[in-house]
Amino acid sequence: MDTILSLTTPPDVAFARVLTTAAEALAQSRGLGKRESMRFQLAVEEFFTYLAQVAHEDCAIQTVLTGKPYQVCASLQFQASGLCLGALNASCTTSLDGAGEAANDLGLILAGRVADRFRLTRDGESSFTLHAEVDKAYPAAKAPPSTVTFKPPYRAGLEHDPNRLMHAAALAAARYPAWHCPASFQTPGKFADLVRAGQFTCVLALDEASHPAGLLCWARSGEKGLSFSGPFVFAPQEDAPQVARMLADAFLATVAREKIEIVFSERATQDTPDGYFETLGTLTRYDEAGQSEQPVLYRHLREDMGETVWADPALEGFLRGVYDRLAMCRDVLAAQPFGASGPSERKSSLFSTTMDKGKGLAVLRPLLDGEDMAANLAGHVRVLSDKGFLNILLYMDLSQAWEASLAGPVMDAGFKPRLVLPFAGRSDVAVFQYAPAR
Amino acid sequence: MRQLADLVPTHVLNFESYVPSRPDDVLMRQYGVERLYRLNNNENALGPPPAAQEVLAAFPPERGAVYPSGDCFFLRQALSDAFGKAPDRFLVGNGSCEVITSVIKAFCQPGDNIVTADKTFAVYEWVAAFSGIEPRLVPLKDYALDPQAMLAAMTGRTKVVFVCNPNNPTGSWWSRDTLERFLRAVGGRAIVVLDEAYREFVDDPDFPDGMEVMERHPNVLVFRTFSKMYGLAALRVGYLCGGLEAVDIVRRTHLVYSVNSLGQLAAKAALEDDGTHAAATRRMVAQAGEYLKSVFDSLGLEHVSGAGNFIMARVPIPDTLLYRLLMKQGVMIRTMTGFRFPNWIRVTLAREPAMEAFAKALRSSLDKR
Repeated sequence: MDTILSLTTPPDVAFARVLTTAAEALAQSRGLGKRESMRFQLAVEEFFTYLAQVAHEDCAIQTVLTGKPYQVCASLQFQASGLCLGALNASCTTSLDGAGEAANDLGLILAGRVADRFRLTRDGESSFTLHAEVDKAYPAAKAPPSTVTFKPPYRAGLEHDPNRLMHAAALAAARYPAWHCPASFQTPGKFADLVRAGQFTCVLALDEASHPAGLLCWARSGEKGLSFSGPFVFAPQEDAPQVARMLADAFLATVAREKIEIVFSERATQDTPDGYFETLGTLTRYDEAGQSEQPVLYRHLREDMGETVWADPALEGFLRGVYDRLAMCRDVLAAQPFGASGPSERKSSLFSTTMDKGKGLAVLRPLLDGEDMAANLAGHVRVLSDKGFLNILLYMDLSQAWEASLAGPVMDAGFKPRLVLPFAGRSDVAVFQYAPAR
Repeated sequence: MRQLADLVPTHVLNFESYVPSRPDDVLMRQYGVERLYRLNNNENALGPPPAAQEVLAAFPPERGAVYPSGDCFFLRQALSDAFGKAPDRFLVGNGSCEVITSVIKAFCQPGDNIVTADKTFAVYEWVAAFSGIEPRLVPLKDYALDPQAMLAAMTGRTKVVFVCNPNNPTGSWWSRDTLERFLRAVGGRAIVVLDEAYREFVDDPDFPDGMEVMERHPNVLVFRTFSKMYGLAALRVGYLCGGLEAVDIVRRTHLVYSVNSLGQLAAKAALEDDGTHAAATRRMVAQAGEYLKSVFDSLGLEHVSGAGNFIMARVPIPDTLLYRLLMKQGVMIRTMTGFRFPNWIRVTLAREPAMEAFAKALRSSLDKR
């Protein structure tokens, strides 16, 4: 069960110590190491201190600290006008010398860097919630045991046993390229905790002696979607198609009546059985060895009710082509191109950046628009490329007109629209990929 | 102020509400087609029997201001005459969905469970789930309800067992012997609902007649409907029949005034049909069934067809994708993922033009993939 601490305080830095004390207690109660606990305290302190300066004076900041088996999270709800969080961008390269104008942002830069990830949600015109997460540290996967002689018949079903899950995750990590695996496969203990906490759900194929013969897992993505990984098959080649089909059937039967519209995968394996999913398109996977095309798979769970999306003129042709090919009915509304309605209300735009070093993958999501959009995107590409991230994606939720209007600057920055994930956000999500110069 | 969600029981909060298809004109606009063949809900393409059609046409508009008979007095009388049972042994509901709800409300309380199949008419499971009652779902065996597994799934807290006979969507059914053995094994430990929504489509002498079975088993309740064979789906009239004691208990939780006057009148008239309508419907269904089987065979598609006015087929692409491809060609089918049959579709057996339109659209959709 999650531990939840909720504190409502005035936007006054004097209360920062109360919050860091609570953050420390929470991190300790959840078994986080000293280093992670310190990072969490620091993130809470710096975020709160910054927000205490920019939040409306007469509105309280509500801080909710949540302890899960695998991470701690701080959610700070506040009111602010003209919010500008440019220093949180991964592209922010302000010198950390504590001098000049940039000094005001040092705390924010620090908070963004010590948290494993953060995101901002807008709850109203001037109401925001800033979420910051710090993960528990886990030991890396040990080499899985040598070959097992599998004995059919196989069966597949939901799996909760942590030992079996850890074993299967380690097997998958050893046999499949990192691109196909959730990052937590590298630390199977974390994977098992994620399953225990309900972040992942798994179906496992077992042979007669209950050896794991295959694994397929999924996690919630957005309000209407499930993102799946796999199928990972450990059975011998001649049994692989059967095991893969059993996993796909068990997966779909399990989720068929859940509160979701779609399942999709940007990292489905080549073992995926034919006929179960639609191909939305491909993403290019860049690594040291070169590049390859990776299919992105998808399927509805029920009949398509249609959807309304916003489209910038720069993206409209692409979208209509996609929807026609997929036989999907969509009302496409025209979004004004970025900057067409005058200067942006804020100077600095903001993107959240999720990085997965194992895959060399970074994913950007627009959180706030701003005057510096073009420069900020270019900065992200430069910084991420310098850090060795060859695969840079940008997700754009087409339910938001302001987000859709960014298509022009995004494409000008070298991103190409690759595909659309139907219902993956509040409505459809357009996926752009940066094409690096080779 | 508390969040609205704080007021909601967890089992309701976690329940996914059912989203019905949009109206035909909306769908036709969305998919850019000028006509739509509805083959998704097992409606009767021949419509209601002539006598029911006359009643509908003659309904005086001023009667719209008058409440219906709250307990369907005359319709229950007609059912009594038709089946030779006392009128108080019948309860009429707004479709069979309402009587399912009434039965679960009458017999189940938190901690109890119901037993049914995992791949059957979904409403038993839904009503139990959103009522906070555990649905225990038993896998099918060879596309049919598995009596042994259903018995094994029963616990001391099982109050109702739902047997869809014939089963929607596979069309499989239990014979007299199978049902009798099952009921003996249940031995009165739970109410057994025989949902016979599609029984009028079966003319096999080995098919058990629930109306007769219930006389030997007082724990049996039989559900039937005017929506399928009698073509009155728009008017929503279903009913249950059972022993006096069982029906008296269900009546306590059953809403009155839920069935409208037009529905009551049309259903009563339909009951009085001389059988011509049912015979014509059976002929249409048989002809369409043979035609679609040949279409599926020619495409190499596995299909399942038992009793009922529908056929189920496994397709080589996601059923939800095929739905969209067919809709683009003006044909609407039922996807089966929601029935936990991914990549299967269910098609209503209807008249020739609809069946030909479906076959053409299916071939065209699969050719392109």
